Amino acid sequence: MLGRPLTSQVGGNGGKDGYDSGMAAVTLIVRVLVGALFIAAGATKVGHFNDLAAAIAGFRLLPEAAVGPLAVLLPFFELGLGLYLVAGLFTRAAAVIGAVQLTIYAAAIAWAVIRHIPANCGCFGPQDTATADWPHVATDLALAGVCAILAWRAPGLLALDNRMRSAP
Amino acid sequence: MKNSRILLWVSIIVVAVGVFVAIRYANTGGVQKSATQAPVLGTAKLEQKAPEFSAATNHGYFDLAKSTAPVFLEVFATWCPHCQRETAIIDQLYKKYKGRVDFVAVTGSPVGMDHQSPSSEQDTLNFAQQFGAQYPVAYDGSLEVAKEYLQGGYPTLVVINRGKKVTYITSGETSFAELDGAIKSALKP
Repeated sequence: MLGRPLTSQVGGNGGKDGYDSGMAAVTLIVRVLVGALFIAAGATKVGHFNDLAAAIAGFRLLPEAAVGPLAVLLPFFELGLGLYLVAGLFTRAAAVIGAVQLTIYAAAIAWAVIRHIPANCGCFGPQDTATADWPHVATDLALAGVCAILAWRAPGLLALDNRMRSAP
Repeated sequence: MKNSRILLWVSIIVVAVGVFVAIRYANTGGVQKSATQAPVLGTAKLEQKAPEFSAATNHGYFDLAKSTAPVFLEVFATWCPHCQRETAIIDQLYKKYKGRVDFVAVTGSPVGMDHQSPSSEQDTLNFAQQFGAQYPVAYDGSLEVAKEYLQGGYPTLVVINRGKKVTYITSGETSFAELDGAIKSALKP
C-alpha cells in the first residue's frame, strides 16, 4: 500500500465531487469487463493456432505468409491487452488499441459478409464456430465505442496509472 | 514517472520480441501450412441449380445427373478436425435416410490428414476407416467438386432436392437437428 487513497487522481480534479467518483467507479467496472472480455478471447485461442489460422485465412484478406504469425501473436496480444485494462496500466493507450483492434475486426467481418464469404468468426477459440455476420459487426463496433469512451474517461478507480502518476 | 517509462519500454520490447517469436514459430512448423490457406470458394448458390458433379466413391460411382433421390453432399478435408467430428453426425443421418437420400462426401483439400503431405485416395480411405464413416466417401484430386461447392470452410454441407436445386448449404460443424431438418425439407414432394 502506498498510504494514499487511490482515488486521489481521479478525473483530474482529485475526485472532489460525487459525480467524478461515480464516473471513476463506472469506468473501473467497464474497464474490468472489457479487459475480461479480451482475456477470455485471448485465453480460448492460446494453443489453437491452427484453428485460428484457418479462421483468419477464411476471411481472404491477408497473404498466406501473414496468417501463421498473426494466429500465433493475436491470442497473446489480446491476453496482454486485457491484463493492461484490468490492471489499469497505460489504460488510455490500451483502450485506444482495443478500439482500433475491434474496428479492424468489424471491418474484416463486414468485408466477408458483403462478399458473401461464410467465414468462421473464431472470436472465442475453436469452439466458437459461429459464422461471421452483421450482428458480429454491430457487437464489435459497439465494443470499439465502449473502448473509445474508456480511453476518454481513463483510468478510473483502482488503476495502476493512478499510482504511477502520484509516485515521486 | 520513471517507473512508468520503464514499464512502457518493457511493454514495447515484449511486443517486438513477441512479433519476432511469432514469425519464427509460425514459419518453422508451429502453424500447419494447410491451416493458412484460404479454401477455394465454390459457385453453388442456395435455391439455384446445383452444379453437375460426379465422384468415384468407396461405395461405387456417383453421378448427380443420374440421381433420382435428394442428395446430401459433404465437401471435407481429411485434416480438418471439424470434418472429423462431423462424421458421427453424417453417419447418423446416413443410417436414417439410406435408400431415400443419396449421400456422398468428397475431399476438397490438396493437403492430407497429417497436414503436410498431399491428399490421396489412400489418405481418404484412412480417414473413412479412422473416423468410422459408413457413408460413401470419394477422393477428388482435381478439386472439381470443391470448386463448385465449397463455401469458405470445411466441412461444406449441401442438400440438393430431386429437382437438382440447392435447398441447403452451409459450412462448419453443423448439428444433427439442423441437417435432419434440411433433408426432411428436400424430401417433401
